[in-house]
Amino acid sequence: MMQIDIWFEQLEFVLIAGIVIFLAWLALEHRNIVYAAFFFGFMASFVAGFYLLLEAPFIAGMQIAVYTGGISALIVFAVLLLPRAQDSSLETFASPRRRRIGLVVSSLVGMLSASLALFFPWYDTFSPDLPPLEFNLELLSQWLWSEHGIYVMMTALILLTAIVGAIAILQMDKAESLISIEGEFGIESVEESIDDEVSVEEPSEEVGNE
Amino acid sequence: MIPLSWYLAVSFILIGLGAYGMMVKRNLIRILIGAEIMGNGVNIALVAVSIYSPAFSFVGQGLIILVISVAAAHTALAMVLMLIYNRRYDTVDLGTPISLEDDEHV
Amino acid sequence: MRLFLDFVPVLVWAILAVVLVGGMLFASWVLRPHVLQNSEKTSSYECGEEPIGPARIAYPYNYLVYTILFVVVDVMGAFLWLLAGSSFRLDVGIVWQVLVFVLIIMGGMGFAMKKLPETFLSGQETLTLYRKAKTERELKELETGGH
Repeated sequence: MMQIDIWFEQLEFVLIAGIVIFLAWLALEHRNIVYAAFFFGFMASFVAGFYLLLEAPFIAGMQIAVYTGGISALIVFAVLLLPRAQDSSLETFASPRRRRIGLVVSSLVGMLSASLALFFPWYDTFSPDLPPLEFNLELLSQWLWSEHGIYVMMTALILLTAIVGAIAILQMDKAESLISIEGEFGIESVEESIDDEVSVEEPSEEVGNE
Repeated sequence: MIPLSWYLAVSFILIGLGAYGMMVKRNLIRILIGAEIMGNGVNIALVAVSIYSPAFSFVGQGLIILVISVAAAHTALAMVLMLIYNRRYDTVDLGTPISLEDDEHV
Repeated sequence: MRLFLDFVPVLVWAILAVVLVGGMLFASWVLRPHVLQNSEKTSSYECGEEPIGPARIAYPYNYLVYTILFVVVDVMGAFLWLLAGSSFRLDVGIVWQVLVFVLIIMGGMGFAMKKLPETFLSGQETLTLYRKAKTERELKELETGGH
C-alpha cells in the first residue's frame, strides 16, 4: 500500500508541474494577448495546487485570492484598456537572434539559481518529514501577527503607497491631457465656467455628440 | 516522498521562463507577465525549502504571505505606469524610439 | 497526500463544471440548424452602416483605480482571514496590531474616496477632450487621404 501512495503523489506532482510549465510558456508565447493574460490566471491557480502538495493550505488560498483574483484581473484589465495592444497584427515580435540570446541568458540565470540552491553545504540536511497540519493556521497566524507583527504594518504601508500612487498618477495624467490648447482648430480651454445644467447656449462648431 | 530537488527544478524552470519573457519580449504586458511568472517560481522555491528544512519554523510561509502582498502592490503600480506610457506614446512596444526633445504634448 | 482527500470535493466540482459547460455547448451545437454562413451574416450589426475596424473601444482609466482598490482590500482580507481562522489562541496584545493595520489601509481607502471625484472628467472637460480627439482624427484623415 505504501507503493501506490508514493506513486500517486509523484503522478500528481508531474501532472501539476507539466500543466504549470505549459501554461507559463503559453502565457508568454501566444499571439493573442488576451489569451496570454487569461493563461497567466490559469497558471496562478495551478501553482496553488503546488502549495497544496506542499501541505500549505493557507498559502494556496491566498495565492488564488490575490494572484488569480487580483493580479490576473489587473493584467486582463490593462489589456482591455489598451485597444492598441489587442490587435496582434500591430505587434512586433522579437527577432530570432534576440530570442537565441534571451534563451542563453535565461538558461544561465536558471543554472545560476540552481547552483546557488543545490550546492550549498546545508542542502544535505533537508529531510522529507512534513510539519504538523492540525494547527497550521493558528501557528502561522501566531508567527505572523504576534511575533512578527511589524512586517504586517510595513506591508500595510506598502499597500498604502499603491493606492496613493495610483490616484496621484491618474490625477497627473488627467492634468496633462487637459492642458489648454488654443490655436488652429478653435478648441476652447477649460478656464470658462463649468456649468452643466444651465447651459444657455454654447458655441458649437458641430453637434456631433448627443 | 517527493525529493526537494524536484520542487526546486520546477522553480528554476519557471524562473528561467520568466527571465526569458522579460528579456526577449517587446510588448510591455508580456514583460509584466514574465515578471509575475518569475515571482511565482521564487515563491514555490521559498515554500518548498521552508517545509523541507530540518528545523521547521513558519518563516517560509509567513514570508510568502508578505511577498505575495508586496507583489500585488507593485503590479498595480507597474500597470499604471504602463498606461501612462501608452497615453504618451500611443503604443505598448518597448522598441519605439523615444526622443528627448521638447515637443508639444500629444 | 494528506490534503488530497480533503480536497477531493473541489476536484469533483471542477470536473462537474467542465462537464456541464462542455455538455451545454455540445447540446447547443447538436440542436443548432446547420446553415452556411457568409460574411454578410456574420458581420456585426451597426445600425445599417458598414463596420470598419475591430470593435474595441478604449475604456476610461477610472475603472483601473477600482481594480487596484479591490486588490488592496483583497490582500487585507487575506491577512484578516488568517487571523480569523486561528480560533483565538493568540494573546490579547494582537488587537492593537490588527487595529493599526486596518486603520492604515482604511485610511488609504478614505483618501481614495475623497480624491477620486477629482480624477473624473466633468462634462465640459469631456467635451473638450472629445473635440480635441475629433479634430486630431480629422487632421490625420486629411493627411492620409481617407486611409
